[in-house]
Amino acid sequence: MTDPMIRLDGATKTFPGTSTPAVDALSLEVPTGEIVVFVGPSGCGKTTTLKMINRIIEPTGGTITVDGVDVRDREPHLLRRDIGYVIQQIGLFPHRTIAQNVATVPRLLGWDEDRTRARVDELLVTMGLDEELGARYPAELSGGQRQRVGVARALAADPPVLLMDEPFGAVDPIVRGRLQVELLDLQARLRKTIVFVTHDIDEAIHLGDRIAILNVGGHLEQYAPPEDILREPATPFVEEFLGPERGLKRLALRTVADLGELGLGNCVQADASVEEAAQVAAEHQERWIGILDGDRLRGWAWVSDLDGARRAGDVETSLFRVALSAEDTLRAALDGLVRSRTGVAVVLGPDQRYDGMITLARLNQAMVS
Amino acid sequence: MSPVLAQASGGIRWSWIGDNLDDIWEATVEHLWLTGIAMVVGFAIAMVLSVLAIRYRRLYGPITATTGVIFTIPSFALFFVLAPFTGLTVLTAEIGLVLYTLLVLVRNTVAGLDGVPEDVKEAARGMGYTRNRLFLEIELPLALPVIIAGLRIATVTTVGLVTITALITFGGLGRFILDGLQQNLFVPKLVVGAVGPTVLALVLDGALLLVQRALTPWSRRAAA
Ligand SMILES: Nc1ncnc2c1ncn2[C@@H]1O[C@H](COP(=O)(O)OP(=O)(O)OP(=O)(O)O)[C@@H](O)[C@H]1O
Ligand SMILES: [Mg+2]
Repeated sequence: MTDPMIRLDGATKTFPGTSTPAVDALSLEVPTGEIVVFVGPSGCGKTTTLKMINRIIEPTGGTITVDGVDVRDREPHLLRRDIGYVIQQIGLFPHRTIAQNVATVPRLLGWDEDRTRARVDELLVTMGLDEELGARYPAELSGGQRQRVGVARALAADPPVLLMDEPFGAVDPIVRGRLQVELLDLQARLRKTIVFVTHDIDEAIHLGDRIAILNVGGHLEQYAPPEDILREPATPFVEEFLGPERGLKRLALRTVADLGELGLGNCVQADASVEEAAQVAAEHQERWIGILDGDRLRGWAWVSDLDGARRAGDVETSLFRVALSAEDTLRAALDGLVRSRTGVAVVLGPDQRYDGMITLARLNQAMVS
Repeated sequence: MSPVLAQASGGIRWSWIGDNLDDIWEATVEHLWLTGIAMVVGFAIAMVLSVLAIRYRRLYGPITATTGVIFTIPSFALFFVLAPFTGLTVLTAEIGLVLYTLLVLVRNTVAGLDGVPEDVKEAARGMGYTRNRLFLEIELPLALPVIIAGLRIATVTTVGLVTITALITFGGLGRFILDGLQQNLFVPKLVVGAVGPTVLALVLDGALLLVQRALTPWSRRAAA
């Protein structure tokens, strides 16, 4: 394993005039190129920990290194230019245009005009912001757009490390979901080392390669990939913090594609004989049968309706109302399965090609393995 | 209309104004100078005091209290207190004028700087601004609308006060009022002495407003 990008070793902060530390001897390592999410109840020290990394808050004990260098050995303002920083309130400069806002750190670093302008244009595109927005002032943008500008500004000088303190906390759930997906897309390309603070466990599960669950005083309750935390919460605190529906949350971490080959399922071709259809249905212990036209799924019919027909395809079929694709989560699959009359969720590939069906048994098997 | 005024207006020599445009212009320029010096010096001192008040919070109370007390001293009284030390000079007048600008300028500058959103400052620090650059490039520009609002009030006040300091300096447009009073209510002079500063104040106020709009395009677009 390569060296961790960020290492906290007994990091401690006792604020002046307080007796108990806000963060007490916290040790953890953030691997290079991963998203680590700090999550925990309000006041547990997430923000304090984050701000100790870029010395907005000076630690009162322990050591913090970024890229192998003790942060105390660097001038704070120089250290910070190498670390992207996004806060919940965003803090865009109201008197500067969007383009100027994004150009902040390049300007501080003394980049020349052309390079800065090219970088700003590139980032606006990356963040899905219209070029014409560059000339506007922050007050003339929507909340979601401002949030994107905040991220673009943090990425401007291409820092290897990004600190994000509840960056999507102030936008509505729909926009937040979209921003989360965008962040993951971005991360797939950029491979930054990201420390992300939230108090929303679902956001943590969705984004984190690893999750650090903190308790009051910056006490680390568990530090592991989301899958592990959901499967095996280390402490009662973690279990309670994860809340109900842990199983569903685990399902949300996996996709239909993770199930691998699904097989034909309870289906026959339209030209199969009625006897064959009845036999396939019996094998699957179902009273219905799916009817295929080659690699297309025509629909399904009750086995009892086949009486008197010659071929399985001769009777009228009902449509499967819920179809999934490979990138849907297993949680969506379960939802589809529950909503369908046949008790299965159909998976379609490109061009509506039939890829198989998911049963409850199949889901179960995936989760215990 | 009172009989006295009606009688007086019968024999008013308005032509005096046209005959003495050079004089009036000279007095206007003088008035502007007296105002300008007071504003520039007052603004400089106010900036220093404001920065001190912001950096060292303990000083904020004493600074605003002192400038506040000065502001409540009647102007005549202040000038007469100063006169024994500095005489009936322009210096006396300017000291008084500068002192009077301080309250408004300090209060607005501090309010403006205080009004800069905390998240904006934190974001700036987090991206690697040094303290001085943060002040010059972020805090000061964002405080500008409130600072200039203070400058406008202080300027209008000072233009009016300069009319009164004519008692000491015999300079500026106020001297026409003194003349007019001595010459048995010579109306044209009184009118020039009274209307002149008013017009001047309006013009300067408007000019500062334009300056503010030019310097802070973002604040108007934001409000729109
Ligand atoms: N400047 C400060 N002075 C004194 N105490 C502070 C200061 N900043 C934070 N604290 C205290 O330190 C503790 C941790 O605060 P912190 O902001 O890190 O919490 P958090 O986990 O980010 O919470 P939230 O989810 O509400 O943002 C809290 O008890 C808080 O009151
Ligand atoms: Mg916080």
